Amino acid sequence: MTTQRRVIYLVGLAMTAIVAGACSMSTSDTGTTRAAMAEPGGGNDWTTYHGTYQSWHYSPLTQINTDNVKRLRVAWVHHPGRSTRGLQSTPLVSNGVLYYTGSYSRVWAIDAATGTPLWSYFPKLNDDLVAAQTHSPYTRGIALGHGKVFVGTVDGRLIAIDQKTGQPAWDTKLINSEKLTVGFTGAPLLVKDKVIIGAQGGEWPGRGPIFGVDAASGRKAWEFITVAGTPEAMKTWGGDSWRTGGGGGWMAGGYDVETNTVWWGTGNPAPLYDWAGSDWKTAGPRPGDNLYTTSVIALDPDTGKLKFYHQELPHDAWDFDSAVGEFVMIDRGGQKLVVHPNKGGHVFVYDRKDAKIVNVWPLVQNINFVKGIDPKTGALIGRRDMALGKHTNLCPAIAGGMSWNSGAYSPKTGLYYKIGQEWCMDLEVVKTTPVLEPQAQLNIGANFTLRNPEGGKAYGHVSGRDPVTGQKKWEVKFTEPPLASLLATGGNLVFVPDARGWLRAYNAETGQELWSHNNGLGHNGGIISYSAKGKQYIAVATGWGSLVGDEFGALFGEPFKSMPKDSGALVVFTLE
Amino acid sequence: MSAMGRILALAIVLTLAAAVAHGQDRSPAPAAAPGADPLIGQQIFTNLCGFCHQDGGRVAGRGPRLAGTDRPDDYILNRIRVGKEGAMPAYARAFSDVQLRSLIAYIRSLKDEGR
Repeated sequence: MTTQRRVIYLVGLAMTAIVAGACSMSTSDTGTTRAAMAEPGGGNDWTTYHGTYQSWHYSPLTQINTDNVKRLRVAWVHHPGRSTRGLQSTPLVSNGVLYYTGSYSRVWAIDAATGTPLWSYFPKLNDDLVAAQTHSPYTRGIALGHGKVFVGTVDGRLIAIDQKTGQPAWDTKLINSEKLTVGFTGAPLLVKDKVIIGAQGGEWPGRGPIFGVDAASGRKAWEFITVAGTPEAMKTWGGDSWRTGGGGGWMAGGYDVETNTVWWGTGNPAPLYDWAGSDWKTAGPRPGDNLYTTSVIALDPDTGKLKFYHQELPHDAWDFDSAVGEFVMIDRGGQKLVVHPNKGGHVFVYDRKDAKIVNVWPLVQNINFVKGIDPKTGALIGRRDMALGKHTNLCPAIAGGMSWNSGAYSPKTGLYYKIGQEWCMDLEVVKTTPVLEPQAQLNIGANFTLRNPEGGKAYGHVSGRDPVTGQKKWEVKFTEPPLASLLATGGNLVFVPDARGWLRAYNAETGQELWSHNNGLGHNGGIISYSAKGKQYIAVATGWGSLVGDEFGALFGEPFKSMPKDSGALVVFTLE
Repeated sequence: MSAMGRILALAIVLTLAAAVAHGQDRSPAPAAAPGADPLIGQQIFTNLCGFCHQDGGRVAGRGPRLAGTDRPDDYILNRIRVGKEGAMPAYARAFSDVQLRSLIAYIRSLKDEGR
């Protein structure tokens, strides 16, 4: 099947699903949901976090292309203010209005053509709790549909805002954040009449829930617990370790319309490092495989029931979680596949019907936490489990071979564009005890220091590869890993917002740089393209200060030592 | 008292006053804080502080190097309690006074290797 036919096929399937489900949707819902389901890149719009349910981060728009991208100029800029830890979010666009969120879950609606603000909504947060949180106060995105904008908060709420007026429609408390310390930083995913959002977890000693919430009323419809959430999973946690197991699913996942399946990635277990060494199956702070941490899970969006799963790293002892949210859905040779990057530096390719492994390939060079991963079964080969004491040159470093921002896939080139991070660390594994009272605290279990890989310097790269085999067509190196999402377009372009503040456009086929612009501040959020009043725009979030970006000053020096971590703006480009 | 004697006596008084004033700038030595234990502080540090203050606080990472810091105890204690927006959480609710002072005792026990 040709690429064009595959796209038509996907659109056809999606339209069928829409018609089938239309009776359950309100009129205001259908426009946004249709775009998210059916049109690669949302056509003129960008209506869901990953661009489409297929997680392509691709816009089919062609007005800006390889021939004219050198004429790209700033059209308008919006400063949201209070961009503590930078602006990490991805905007959405529907019917000429751009919606986005900044730190503290402050939501804006803006005329997408002119940059004129239409309304804003600043939820009142529990300031004492926000001050006590480590992974805070950033918010990485929103969901649109049913005439509402949906946003999570770091104090454990999911809020619906009227899309036209900016007035709150409902505000539902889902987590006791005052006790558990974690809340929501990731974007929700709207699937039919459910808003799905996952809590933070990882090194936090909780059980990392994912929620399905009724979009109309705000009523919680279901909750899936990522730590020992089924009898099968409970058997994979020794003793009472399941009570403080971490997990979570803090990035929005994808949705397979054809099978009505939500794909979601889960966080690492706690404590983050484990002193059991090779005895981890029976000893240490969390004996066993620790399901469903560091896994991809397939959920029924209507009920929250688990359909199937694959644990990418059984008993993750390195903080190489599966929370990376992109689930790139493609068809190849009659197979329906989903491609999912794991933080440890490998890309997993699954069969969409059951999460059976089709292939596993490494995106980065500096990997030694395993000797390899079996490309046929996904089994880890030559695990490097660390006992108490000092260990040197563990690769990749805790910040991962890949970070949480998303790559892009172009159906035109058939290439998957993704950032790789090349760095390592030294560490000393130390016994810890979970702190739960009066308020849960991080449970790390090691002291560590980031370092250069042996024989070279830490760096980053962006490559264009076959998403199934990993075969590299081109690669561009960066002196520091870019930390933002990527964008591919129908104009045969790939946009890379880098850490130093440069936004660059490359030929999607060859990797040749065609245009660049310095936004004056590192990028650590999303980038999209849309059309408003007949013009194509590129919108990118600027702003520095994520927990990964915080490492850059010590490791790379300037300009990161001097880069502010309380600024950010949405910068929007169009052709002059 | 001779002129020389008066000058000597004044010098002694000024020196003592300066010593007292210097002492008033500093918090009591951590060892003097009741119940403060650097080993307790070390475990708390590894649980959570080491996420940012790397190699147990010996080198800079997300957070600054703490080994050899010239910040007074009260400054560090206040920073742990209140935090710093967008950079460091506030731990006033999380830990008792003894635990917090144990953290300071641990930080003071770190050898400054200039890394």
